[in-house]
Amino acid sequence: STPLLCAGSPTTRSGMGHPQLPWILLDELSSTKYWVSMHVSDHSGFHYRQFLLKSLIGRTVNDDNTLVQNQMGNEQNSSLQTEEECEGAEAVCVEEQSVDIPRYLEEELDFCTDLIDTYPGHETLWCHRRRVFYLQHHLTNRLPLLSVVGSSVDSSDETLHNSHPNPATGHMAQAMDVDGLNESSSKQGYTQETKRLKRAPMQDSFGPEMEYRFIDKVLSTCRDVDQARFATAYRKWLVTFLGQ
Amino acid sequence: MRLYSLSVLYKGEARVQLLKAASDVSTFNFFQRSSVQEFMTFTSQLIVERSELGSRASVKEQDYLCHVYVRSDGLAGVVIADNEYPSRVCFTLLDKVLEEFSRQVSRADWPSGSPATISYAALDGYLSKYQNPRDADPMTRVQAELDETKIILHNTMESLLERGEKLDDLVSKSEVLGVQSKAFYKTARKQNSCCEIM
Repeated sequence: STPLLCAGSPTTRSGMGHPQLPWILLDELSSTKYWVSMHVSDHSGFHYRQFLLKSLIGRTVNDDNTLVQNQMGNEQNSSLQTEEECEGAEAVCVEEQSVDIPRYLEEELDFCTDLIDTYPGHETLWCHRRRVFYLQHHLTNRLPLLSVVGSSVDSSDETLHNSHPNPATGHMAQAMDVDGLNESSSKQGYTQETKRLKRAPMQDSFGPEMEYRFIDKVLSTCRDVDQARFATAYRKWLVTFLGQ
Repeated sequence: MRLYSLSVLYKGEARVQLLKAASDVSTFNFFQRSSVQEFMTFTSQLIVERSELGSRASVKEQDYLCHVYVRSDGLAGVVIADNEYPSRVCFTLLDKVLEEFSRQVSRADWPSGSPATISYAALDGYLSKYQNPRDADPMTRVQAELDETKIILHNTMESLLERGEKLDDLVSKSEVLGVQSKAFYKTARKQNSCCEIM
């Protein structure tokens, strides 16, 4: 019998069946927070966090970008195996389907804001912001995540720009669809997000508007020359990225 | 994000006296530690020598930043940090330390003092506590961009020197640096990896 992998449908992604994986990812996210905040010019720590977030997303979003509807359901073929392997870790299996990705992305963005404000003039933090915003934006708009591992910010800009001629309007259309889709799903995972989407026409606690406001705030209050330069560059990137 | 040394000095008319110093060289190669310590003392003294009374400055040397505050009464403080450590917190620390020092150590003792004769024991504690700027100074974030104090920025140690003055000469003449440190400096210089130790 298959050891770790709960053999469900052939589309099951390699890590998906492992009951412990989300815990490890979340644990790593939490335990690396202090280190990166004490090494704000070191890309490696932040790159690792981006990897963790991407991995978390990868576990809950299929290749064709539909939500993993019911993780337990997908593995119903091997539900017995699942139970055995989850023995003593039942809580973990239940947790598996309720990782609130949007919340973690938003927290990461808040964390990034905090570091940018506290330690002005570090490019690493602004690069991290781009990456996190990119993930958040794609998740929110259900756009396909480009799996360009380790690409520089610039090259991912290009690829993105080419494959999404009109992300802005695409986003609007997507928002409507998502509402309908989530209506019929029974998953806790995206409830938070659904509520947010329904609450306001656009995102109110994150998203482009929020970012522009943040940039303006930094530019109007910062006294560090590099900080101003990075904020301006980030705004340029944002404008290009959103295609506005 | 690290602090390496914290020193209190006195800028007299004739010369600069080191009054008290604390350092954290734990991140350096074991065999280099005593030399690093000496160079930090040497650097701190040099910077105070070349700074005006009543001034604040930050001197950049490779990955290190030396922050100095020379008060108008001649009491001075130098913090040597890495380039991640927020400079504003360093200046807050210097203000605080010098203020406390001037209350605890009588002014009469400053012109002729030395680490052996001065009794002020708080430097090690401050150096350790301030390793995490957020623990030590909760106002860091709020204040980060509000500070109006003028701080002179020097991009290299060289910019502190007089025209024609060479760091090499100052090093070889220094009373603060031991024979080994001077030798190490010469070797490092030749290999073009000068001031790695600094």
